[in-house]
Amino acid sequence: MRALTTPTEQPLLELDNLRVNFHTPTGIVRAVRGLSFTLGRERLGIVGESGSGKSMTGRAILDLIPYPGEVLADRLVYRGQDLLTMDKRTRRKLRGRHISMVMQDPKFSLNPVQTVGEQIAEAYRVHHKASVREARERSLVMLEAVQIREPGRVYELYPHEVSGGMGQRVMIAMMLIAEPDILIADEPTSALDVTVQLQILKILDDLVTERGMGLIFISHDLHLVQSFCDRVIVMYGGKAMETLPAAELADEAARSQRHPYTLGLLGCLPDLDHPKAKLATLTRDPAWLA
Amino acid sequence: MTTWTDYLTTDSPSSRRQARLGQLYRQWLAFKRNPLAVAGLVIVVALLLIAAFAPLIAPHNPLAQNLDKRLLPPSAVNFFGTDSLGRDIFSRIVYGARVTLVIVLLVVITVGPVGLLIGATSGYLGGWVDRLLMRITDVFLAFPRLVLALAFVAALGPGLENAVIAIAITAWPPYARVARAETLIIRQQDYIAAVRLQGASQWRIVWKHVVPLCLPSLIVRTTLDMAGIILTAAGLGFLGLGAQPPIPEWGAMISAGREQIFDQWWVATFPGLAICVVALGFNLLGDGLRDVMDQR
Amino acid sequence: MTTQPAIALDKLNVSFGEAHVVKDLSFTVLSGESYGIVGESGSGKSTVLRVLAGLNRDWSGEIAILGKAQPKIRDKAFHRQVQMVFQDPYGSLHPKKTVDDALAEPLTIHGIRDAEARIGRAMADVGLPPSFRFRYPHQLSGGQRQRVAIARALVLEPTILLLDEPTSALDVSIQAEVLNLLQALRQERKLTYILVSHDLAVVAHMCERLLVMQFGRGVEEMTAATLAARAPQTAYAQQLLTASEGFKRQAATIPA
Repeated sequence: MRALTTPTEQPLLELDNLRVNFHTPTGIVRAVRGLSFTLGRERLGIVGESGSGKSMTGRAILDLIPYPGEVLADRLVYRGQDLLTMDKRTRRKLRGRHISMVMQDPKFSLNPVQTVGEQIAEAYRVHHKASVREARERSLVMLEAVQIREPGRVYELYPHEVSGGMGQRVMIAMMLIAEPDILIADEPTSALDVTVQLQILKILDDLVTERGMGLIFISHDLHLVQSFCDRVIVMYGGKAMETLPAAELADEAARSQRHPYTLGLLGCLPDLDHPKAKLATLTRDPAWLA
Repeated sequence: MTTWTDYLTTDSPSSRRQARLGQLYRQWLAFKRNPLAVAGLVIVVALLLIAAFAPLIAPHNPLAQNLDKRLLPPSAVNFFGTDSLGRDIFSRIVYGARVTLVIVLLVVITVGPVGLLIGATSGYLGGWVDRLLMRITDVFLAFPRLVLALAFVAALGPGLENAVIAIAITAWPPYARVARAETLIIRQQDYIAAVRLQGASQWRIVWKHVVPLCLPSLIVRTTLDMAGIILTAAGLGFLGLGAQPPIPEWGAMISAGREQIFDQWWVATFPGLAICVVALGFNLLGDGLRDVMDQR
Repeated sequence: MTTQPAIALDKLNVSFGEAHVVKDLSFTVLSGESYGIVGESGSGKSTVLRVLAGLNRDWSGEIAILGKAQPKIRDKAFHRQVQMVFQDPYGSLHPKKTVDDALAEPLTIHGIRDAEARIGRAMADVGLPPSFRFRYPHQLSGGQRQRVAIARALVLEPTILLLDEPTSALDVSIQAEVLNLLQALRQERKLTYILVSHDLAVVAHMCERLLVMQFGRGVEEMTAATLAARAPQTAYAQQLLTASEGFKRQAATIPA
């Protein structure tokens, strides 16, 4: 079940030399500088600290970089379709329908004056020709799929009436109703409590294993990414420091092969099993960005 | 000049003053990027200069009547023509800038601090203080401003000082409201909790920590309101309740020119344009300031 | 080792209107000890800290600090003993005040004379270079802001420091630096800490004892060693611990 991407199958997403630049009055800020990866039907983690360009990568794929920013790439291909040469309208249609995104805080992503159910139904009707009734039924099914116990009741709730964990499930339901091939989850659980966090991850996990969706999981939490993802890209300063199977992150034996930045990140975390008087701190080497 | 720029833009200023100046310089740079705001500033500065150097600019005595030269159209001698008493309209407008400026400054000096203090106190202390102060504000807000100002002037008697007092009395409630709304947000912040934890008195917190944060939005509001104040003053002048003749006040000048508006259009038009331009100038300046100062 | 309690809480109850957010909470923190409070959102852990700091006055019960029972409104002497560091480094510094202003303010309030020397020392203690003294918060990074907040808390030379998630808004590498700084300061100055956090590893690293809270109640008090040995007594503490270990795939445990 783990390796759904066979070498012969076309990757869902191919990205070559992605760059995101912001033109500001004080000069060009290079948020992402030359990132390449391919995504199959897998859980791909992108970890990094703030300013590493991990969120910008997710947004660049969806063409959601705000104004002074520009997205450049040698290749950005979704299932054989070139996203770079595609016109804006087609690309917008692709967004939401085939590639979706879940953001960090559901509070800011849901419309406060519409019930959550209506919002999910609307998301469905944007991409499918369906009657109001049909959309409602689909929405209830989706709410159930994200493990909401009383979908009928939750459908009628307004965003302020649902808890953080429930809100995030609603967001996921809304993103998934169009049945996208790729889901980009940008810190989907950072605003949530640990116990709720695991339930959300379980839902995402099932989607990958059962539906064969490709998941890009953006997070700052190394432990989480290591335990949840198949492959991990470690980003720093807009560049990928290394790409490795998640299992190797925890593997003590493979430490010598790790990038010093990855090791540094792992080292500065307090660890229940290896208490130390003083935490290691990270020394950043300018050569990493050369 | 590079040394000055370096001094102002350094990342690590070495004194309090340098830090403050650097902050101001950065705001100025942001302000400069907005051409409309700069236009507003130019108008306001021009108003200040005209008022200051009125005797040098005005070619004639604004009060000198000359009935031989009544209602002359604009010419090389009288740029904006003359009024029904033969006074030079251009000179009167130039001197009128002083009157306008006096009104505006007096109103601002009284309204800003009063509104700020009432609003910040009300918002920070809450409870019965808040209720009492806000109900008083509501009473003032319940009447249309011009009508209330008229009532006050009628009670106090016409005149420039009384017009200013009337405008000030009617202008402070919105300021108190703005200051209170800001304070309600500010007092929830951790940095206010931190000063509370240091044992600061409530007065100290309101004055030294809350008020500086309300100030930018109040300054912005004042500049935006300036246009309204000028118009109210002009309105009172038009009704004969503001500055008394022969003081050259723009509103009163329009009022005097209304009888000739069809035959001698210049008498009412030029003071009207002056009001328009100055009101616009303050508005543009206010908009520009908002963009610069409101960013936290 | 002194055993005088720095902080003693007896049957603390806190209500916001209808909501009863802290229920019959009692615990004691010894002088020089570092005590952790962990729990999920809504457990009331931050509220306890704000009540202790005197920022919240809607409470009943007994609070004694350094052996002295505390009234709802604290006196100036209290503020010289107890200070707090807040969670969000972006919200805890006044946006219009320089580092210098922030550090000078408590000294002015308490009429302390040698402000110059104290500010310089406080900055050096938290590892801020003197060139930062006249910077505004927007010219500082998150980690630097948190250092300023710690310096501000220390400038009055208190004995008790209340830490409300001091590193949860920071990157892990910056978190390590700030935690190291807090550890060093505690050793140097024999400070007493109460550290509120949702991160069990951070609490285990920083504290000798900790209290797990849920729905406003203290669920279990344990030592950091018990936590590291994965030996909490209650089901909730156990659940919290398991959840913090990361994601466990069912499929991995059940052979396909």
